[in-house]
Amino acid sequence: MHKRTITASSFALVLLSTVILTSCSAATDTAASGEATGTLIVYTNSNSDGRGEWITEQADAAGLNIEIVGLGGADLANRIVAEKNNPVGDVVFGLNNMFFETLKAEEAVSAYTPAWSSEVDSTAGDAADGAFWPLVEQAIVTVYDTNTVSAADAPTEIADLWDGDQYTGNYEVNIALGQATPQLVLAGLLAPYADEDGDLGISDDGWDQVQAYFEHGSPAVEGTDLYARLTRGEVDFGVIPSSGITSRDAEYGTVTGVISPEDGVPYVTEQIAVINGTPRQDQAEEFIDWFGSSAVQGQFAAEFAAYPVNTEARSQALPAVVELIESLPKQDIDWALTREHIGEWVEKTELEYLP
Amino acid sequence: MRTSSWRSMLRSPLVVIVALVTVWFIATFLIFPNATLLIGTFFPDGQLSFRAFEKLASSERAMNSLWHSFLLAGTLAVTVNVVGIFIVLVTDYFAIRGARVLWLGYATTLIYGGIVLAAGYNFIYGRYGFVTNAVGNWFPDIDRDWFSGYFAVVVVMTLATTTNHMLFLGSSLAKIDYQTIEAARNMGAGTLRILWRIVLPALRPMIFAVTVLTFLTGLGALTAPIVLGGTDFQTIAPMILTFSKSSSSQDLAALLAIILGLATIVLLAMMNRAEKSGVYFSVAKVATPLQKQKIPNQVTNGVVHVLAYALFVVYATPVLLIVLFSFLDSTAILRGMITWDALTLDNYATVFGTPSVLRPFVVSVVYSALASAIVVIGMLFVARVLQKYRNPVTGLLEYLLHIPWILPTILIALALVMTFDRPQALVGGQVLTGTTSLLLVAYIIVKIPFTLRLLKAAFASVPESLEDAARILGAGSMFTLRKVLFPLVIPTAAAITALNFNSLLDDYDAAVFLYHPLYQPLGIAIKASTEGENNLDSMSITFVYTVLLMIIMGLAMYLVYGRSGAATRRARRRASRG
Repeated sequence: MHKRTITASSFALVLLSTVILTSCSAATDTAASGEATGTLIVYTNSNSDGRGEWITEQADAAGLNIEIVGLGGADLANRIVAEKNNPVGDVVFGLNNMFFETLKAEEAVSAYTPAWSSEVDSTAGDAADGAFWPLVEQAIVTVYDTNTVSAADAPTEIADLWDGDQYTGNYEVNIALGQATPQLVLAGLLAPYADEDGDLGISDDGWDQVQAYFEHGSPAVEGTDLYARLTRGEVDFGVIPSSGITSRDAEYGTVTGVISPEDGVPYVTEQIAVINGTPRQDQAEEFIDWFGSSAVQGQFAAEFAAYPVNTEARSQALPAVVELIESLPKQDIDWALTREHIGEWVEKTELEYLP
Repeated sequence: MRTSSWRSMLRSPLVVIVALVTVWFIATFLIFPNATLLIGTFFPDGQLSFRAFEKLASSERAMNSLWHSFLLAGTLAVTVNVVGIFIVLVTDYFAIRGARVLWLGYATTLIYGGIVLAAGYNFIYGRYGFVTNAVGNWFPDIDRDWFSGYFAVVVVMTLATTTNHMLFLGSSLAKIDYQTIEAARNMGAGTLRILWRIVLPALRPMIFAVTVLTFLTGLGALTAPIVLGGTDFQTIAPMILTFSKSSSSQDLAALLAIILGLATIVLLAMMNRAEKSGVYFSVAKVATPLQKQKIPNQVTNGVVHVLAYALFVVYATPVLLIVLFSFLDSTAILRGMITWDALTLDNYATVFGTPSVLRPFVVSVVYSALASAIVVIGMLFVARVLQKYRNPVTGLLEYLLHIPWILPTILIALALVMTFDRPQALVGGQVLTGTTSLLLVAYIIVKIPFTLRLLKAAFASVPESLEDAARILGAGSMFTLRKVLFPLVIPTAAAITALNFNSLLDDYDAAVFLYHPLYQPLGIAIKASTEGENNLDSMSITFVYTVLLMIIMGLAMYLVYGRSGAATRRARRRASRG
């Protein structure tokens, strides 16, 4: 063999081994490789607005060593399901009941009864099997700025917005159906029309509502906040989760009015659970007992304008938040049905009804 | 001599090793995970399901969006070539005053893109944009939505995707044998004729390669149509994104992505044929650097200057605005009212006030640098082998390496997580899910087709006589590769490395499923800091990150171009003096 061809092959060998090494070596430094100690990996979609840092600090003070992994709701749920054979996270919290129903159906979370189980309404979580437990409640509301629309001019029922042409193009519809809030809006729209014989469990009337809702609405603008559109007069109505109202009123100088329909508005409950198969089961349970306790939930509620499910923590929630939430009746939504069909509903809406 | 002989191919140990590694990589990381995912998707109960076909065919919206994507891709393939070739000519071929300043202006698309770019244009020309406001003051009756729909998307994407032309066409142009141009002039050919008969034909392999890339970019257009398309011009990519995130609709996402991917592959095959049918001698064999051409006609010269500077303004304004916006509070930006009071350092304070803000930058820089270096080094060998030995097997390997173009990044990432969540013999019995290496693998995978395409085009323009000469002089294959061929394609390889590096820096789609909890990359960090129901400054914070990214990417480009560019300029100066 030529000397030069030896150089050639050895160079290629180095390359080969680099590729193999880089693809294999790091297996040793994983945090999820079956050690029962070490940092607790906490998955959540509720880490924004400084929540993640706050929780990490408080946990540290309580002697819990955690690392927050924050992702959007749908992405996070997908990731947990994809990893279920070799879980990377130990605990998950913040996802709504719809996502948690999915995680439970995929056996990605395991049942654990927290120390504070008696302080929460178990029907807000997984009453049947106790696979996940409720932390915080939110209403999904249709809002307007009372500076521009007087309460008398606002419709009393949300469906008035697309019934007739009075409000056509005047309310925002969020068409990013991969996200949690638009999915909840859809679930709320369809809930009264559940019909075993209908398409995907929904009667034709229900689908007509969805069609009219999107047809008469003004699609949300990527990168532009609803309140920016409200203040510059593009639209008069739009949907947001209730926890976002206070800060926007302060920022945009709006005075938010909320449409309160007779049948109520969709409520979502953020939950917590142990990820199935975690090697750090004890630490995970310890974290859940700590985070869901009335003391921590109360502080959390006061800090982040949340409405805790834990009845003993509620006294610490902000009065404005309590007043708003308690003034809004809860819409009756069949979450089991929603969980079963939401993927198909999104698909049908995406294919047939979006503008 | 190009040869398809098996024996000569198998005789070289270098080729055999490259082939083995390539086959292993393709089987392990391209075919195995994706095939598993696709089979699960299209054969849910062991039987082929036509559900996805039926659903899509019966959806008017899906068909419209699909048509729009193809329309956009087709349009861009033309418009981007026109604008791209124009800017390459005015910066590198014709003698235009201030060409270096122009180059910098046009190069701004190297360092930003995506939502920020679309939003930048929207803030200028959109419904509430400055230009619209200004014109609206003079002519109150104008249609404030003039900059939306097909027209706006085409304009913005045309300007945004000339990057590949600038880098790769520019470097091909620099290698043109100047003596052919002088010879043509001596024979009495005019400027246009030289351009048309000598310069452009020599650039053909690279034009083909960048056209395929442009077409692909058009098909995958996501943010520009969302921001500027309005209800009349929505494309298919947002729908693919929504569907790929829902387990019950993943078949639709996969099918749509496969349709787009196959269209690209068909175009690629056509370009490959065209490339094979031509013979290109574009590299100067004698070191006579290209000299800039004067445009003799005064009027034409003036028009070209005006056009070049008008384009410069259009390119540079959004970047300046983004830098300005990063110092404004979100309300001022969204209301379109910019006053001195609104200027603030708060956005930067927010970003740098976050604990461990630098860590994601370091993580992403390391990942991106590793991935882009590995993929370019690997593909240098692969592209060389594919270029030199043409037979059905190498042809097949080449097409297999384009698999990452057929599937959206999200599905590739999901397939990797689900495949490597148990010990796999193909990777020595390791479990890769939950390790730091899987994200690196994903980054390498998604950058393979782009890298291969351009490197192959670069090798195609190297004349065989150089290689023959080396062999006659007794050089071995590795020595020839290292000392003769690599130096000729290194400028292209460096440019690809920089581009790959830049595009991986703020990746979100692959990272979201694959990142190791303790090593959070930048794309995830940006998303986390711009999300949140009470985060009203998300747009400003995006702009701050964009400015920081621009600085890093600018540095990366400087490392590649600043120095080699200076060398070229020195060479040119020497040449013009001599």
